[in-house]
Amino acid sequence: MPRVDLAIDKDWAWGGASGAGITVAVVDSGVDPAHPAVRVVDRAIALKWDRDTEQVMSADGPHEDLFGHGTACAGIIRRAAPDATIWSVRVLGSRLTGKGVVFAAGLRWAIAQGARVVNLSLSTGRDDYFGLFHEIADEAAFANVVLVCASNNVPAPTYPAQFSSVISVAAHDGRDPFVLDANPAPPVDFGAPGIDIEVPWLSGATIVATGNSFAAPHVTGLVARLLSKHPHLTPYEVKTVLRAVASNAASPGSKR
Amino acid sequence: MSLGPAVRPTGTEELLRALTETARQLFGAAACSLALLTEDESELVYTTAAGEGADDVTGMRISSSEGIAGWVVQSGQPIAVSDLAGDPRFSLEAAEQTGYVPQAILAVPVETPQRMLGVISLLDRDARRPAAERDMALLSLFADQAALALASVDRFSALGRVLLATLADAAAGDDLVAALRRASGQLAPPDSDLAALAATFAALARLGAAERRLAVAVLRDVGEYAERRPPRPR
Repeated sequence: MPRVDLAIDKDWAWGGASGAGITVAVVDSGVDPAHPAVRVVDRAIALKWDRDTEQVMSADGPHEDLFGHGTACAGIIRRAAPDATIWSVRVLGSRLTGKGVVFAAGLRWAIAQGARVVNLSLSTGRDDYFGLFHEIADEAAFANVVLVCASNNVPAPTYPAQFSSVISVAAHDGRDPFVLDANPAPPVDFGAPGIDIEVPWLSGATIVATGNSFAAPHVTGLVARLLSKHPHLTPYEVKTVLRAVASNAASPGSKR
Repeated sequence: MSLGPAVRPTGTEELLRALTETARQLFGAAACSLALLTEDESELVYTTAAGEGADDVTGMRISSSEGIAGWVVQSGQPIAVSDLAGDPRFSLEAAEQTGYVPQAILAVPVETPQRMLGVISLLDRDARRPAAERDMALLSLFADQAALALASVDRFSALGRVLLATLADAAAGDDLVAALRRASGQLAPPDSDLAALAATFAALARLGAAERRLAVAVLRDVGEYAERRPPRPR
């Protein structure tokens, strides 16, 4: 991995920052605000596909986490960015039919409502959604919203993780939540902890789990922390900073 | 229309059974199973299983809106959990039904670029084997194989439905070309495309030799073009 010296280190990036003032949307299965690792969910909306009207219906207000995964993501984000504002956008858990459209609607809602960072630990490999998610990824980039997506495990395209404007994350076997690897071979941008890590789950419990879907929120938390200190960075600048502080790309003199 | 499956390739069940058994042995797992989404996608049905509780798990149905398997088909993301006891809702029901209570699960989606088909799960794999950290990626390759086999079953079933519907129509005194064209208008893609193609072939058969040669040349060119073109979505 060629080293780049941007005179940026982790201390510059997020030293002393807490994520305060940055809104992070967790587009997932819901978030349990009662979990001690999450503590607060500032806003919650649940979306689902209505088969009768063939439209996406939404319900504002508190909801439960149907699987545990959204709570896991929120807990991981909270650890890196304890003072970030967390929104839960529930798009999973109801019927699968219309799922891609519901997922897209939830993402668009988060962008329109002013989230700065969106965590997407879900993806679709369906060709039908290539265009729709490409459009939304552009909308997010132009609105200065950072999309952090879990990548796929197979060498097949998956959306929106595939697109260059999003931050695509896979799991590496490290444990330190502040250590990232930069991937020299796109579309995956970064490696973050996601193998056998302890994560919050349903009913206040924790489980030991593995998946790229747990690596993405590590990066989401770091992005929230970075933006709380440098709020004017664009998604591309955010990516540049993350690459500069990645353990395999940082300049030799920079602080770890 | 229900005769479609009559023309599907034989040996699919055997192939899927061999696949789950191979995965189970390769990963040193207590059990391996394949669950497929129902037509309305509201449930997962365990169609194939090998190992602990295999007989009891086969045929079992669970909601696609809950549990680890539900998460996988909903999110499109693989997941491994190594201490299932920590998940208070984890398929206790399923465990009670099969009499086997797993400690760990690795589950990956089975999907084609067109749709989500289901999930392959490994229970209690031997995580201390060399290179076990690559298990998720490896099991995903097994899932791709299953998806290919299932997609081919789907295609043959669709072809069978079109052929049988058309033959039935034509047998009732109708002209074959007209029956095929009508079928292509009534069916959803890809069935409609297949019926339209069949109608075109039927019409070509009645033309002169020169027209048939021209049609073959055009088709061959299209085929060559499609093969050269890099695969890209849409």
